Amino acid sequence: MKTPRLSPQTLRVLERFIERPTAWRYGYDLSRETGLKSGTLYPILMRLAKHQLLETKWVTTEDGVPPRHTYRLTPNGAAFVRSLAPTRSAAKIRRAAISEAKA
Amino acid sequence: MTPLSYPRRLASQLLRAALSIAPHDTLDWGNGMLSELNHVEGNWSALLWAFGGAGVLAKHAVLSAIFTGSTRPILPSGGDLFEKETPMRKTVLTAIGACVVASLLFFAAPVFRQAFHVSLAQWHDVLHVGRTFGTFGTFGYEDSSPELERLAKKAEQNRDAEGLAFVAARHPNPDESVRLVEEAVQLDPSLTWVYAVIAAQSCSLPHFDRWVSELKKYDSQNALPYFIVAEKIDCDEVGHKTIRPALLKGIMSGREEHENPAWQTAMAAAFQSHKLDTYLDRLKELDRKALIRYHVDDPFQAVSDDSWWRGLPSYSAWDSSRYAQSVLESGEALEARGDRDGAVEKYMSVARFTKMMGPAGVFWLPRVDQEAYKRLASLFERGANKEQAEFYAALADQADQAQKAELDSMRSWSRGGEVAHWNAFLVRLSGLVLLFCAALLVFCISGVLVRGRSFKLASLHPGRLTLALGLGAALGVLLSSAVLFVSYWPYSELLQRFQRTGDEAGLSDLARFLGDAQLPLGSQLSAGSWYVGSQKAVFYFWFSVVALCVLAFLLVLWRFRHRPRAAAATT
Repeated sequence: MKTPRLSPQTLRVLERFIERPTAWRYGYDLSRETGLKSGTLYPILMRLAKHQLLETKWVTTEDGVPPRHTYRLTPNGAAFVRSLAPTRSAAKIRRAAISEAKA
Repeated sequence: MTPLSYPRRLASQLLRAALSIAPHDTLDWGNGMLSELNHVEGNWSALLWAFGGAGVLAKHAVLSAIFTGSTRPILPSGGDLFEKETPMRKTVLTAIGACVVASLLFFAAPVFRQAFHVSLAQWHDVLHVGRTFGTFGTFGYEDSSPELERLAKKAEQNRDAEGLAFVAARHPNPDESVRLVEEAVQLDPSLTWVYAVIAAQSCSLPHFDRWVSELKKYDSQNALPYFIVAEKIDCDEVGHKTIRPALLKGIMSGREEHENPAWQTAMAAAFQSHKLDTYLDRLKELDRKALIRYHVDDPFQAVSDDSWWRGLPSYSAWDSSRYAQSVLESGEALEARGDRDGAVEKYMSVARFTKMMGPAGVFWLPRVDQEAYKRLASLFERGANKEQAEFYAALADQADQAQKAELDSMRSWSRGGEVAHWNAFLVRLSGLVLLFCAALLVFCISGVLVRGRSFKLASLHPGRLTLALGLGAALGVLLSSAVLFVSYWPYSELLQRFQRTGDEAGLSDLARFLGDAQLPLGSQLSAGSWYVGSQKAVFYFWFSVVALCVLAFLLVLWRFRHRPRAAAATT
């Protein structure tokens, strides 16, 4: 078992994807939802795609508007994010307990 | 279709420009960012979006160019998902390595090593609180430098009289200085003049009377031995062991006219002498020979700081003005009694003496010669000797011109001092930055090695902060090395020219530069200051600065280590 360090930004992106694992997401929408700038968001997306946790597709939305690049988790990606969930929850619970104790 | 606003047009152009340089495998992502631009709300937000996207593409373009060209994968092909991005790490490590190698190349240059040595001189004051300034004239410290000890040992082994005299003239320990000069003169009696150089700097020496006697025999027409005697009498009366506190006391309180007959006799003999030779020319030639013979690298040992005392015993040189005034007053008294010849003789002796002093006369006896000539002109005018009166009036004018020229020269010297002062500041600052950055770099490297528990590059994974700190420190080392080299290089040239050709031009600049370079950065002392008490303040000041820096660094480190991070488990 290996416990790599996940950046909070990457987790934030993955959390957004796991909310609707099968939905295709636009880059700008992800940026707004996570609060990440394009310079932070896209390297994360590129890295996830490189490791085949994310798939990409060009979609045409309406006439006259250029096609958009969209992203969603691959089955491997969804499984990976779910495997993170217990640890993440445990961390949240631990933080809550510490806050309570301090209060 | 509504025309695009200016920021949005700019954003679009920016991303297109970035796309034009982006590697092939990032084009899809770049086009994705460009297409999203149409959906970004707000013109300025669109511009910010484009800046971020262009930055990402530019970074990949640079990495692609540096490493494997267009075939370079945008991400590491193997390893864990959350490993640091290898190419970036490699870029930074390469940059750090390049900076360190370039800095080490600086150290290969002797000029730079000398500059580094000069930049360290400021720490001597900070770390040696008890140091008294200029106990013994030159740039020597209270404790002898290893370089000086090495020279002394070598000169003694070689029985080299000039080498011994060179060390004696700058050794900070008077007893050792006396021993060495005695040995030098024993080996080569023509070096007897070195007694005067040493005696002019301290009046608490053993064998003082014998030295003066030998100096009088060696150079019977010289006024210097009489000045040295007058100085000794002053020192004995004031009861201080060193010259400068006594001089300081004299300046601060304004002493009464000296009435000691022995002092009067010594000063009268000095005034009646035919010449004044402080042997500075011989000393410089001796310095040059010794520097070449012993390959002296330490610039502090190479140059004597004679700019202000001009080789004269400072206390008696200062008092010569007072003595000259008393002679003028006695001439006036003779004049009042009708002894015209006696008065002329008194005024003439003062005029002759100031002329004999040369530039030092203008420095130590300002306007005294002018006063003497004016009185002579007035005396001859009253005696109806118009020709003589005009002659002395012209000499008074000349003396006035000489005084103004000397003042201009001193102003010019002072302006030159500003340049030396600024360069010394740069040397001290770059020396400090160099040390700090080198320490930071060593700290970062040690941290990475300890955490990685390996010396293999592949197994080391420095974090972003460590990389950033390491890169900043390496750049700091390189930049400060360059500044240090450039700031010191002109002075190294001056020193080398003096050693090669004996050209003394610029030596006073070098002396001022070295004087300033010894003062701790931030201290308000000036070179040659006698205010010893502030040394403790300097120490405490720097101690506080260092302590605050360490505290700030630890705080930053602590905050970084305890910033919120999520930990995840993967199989």
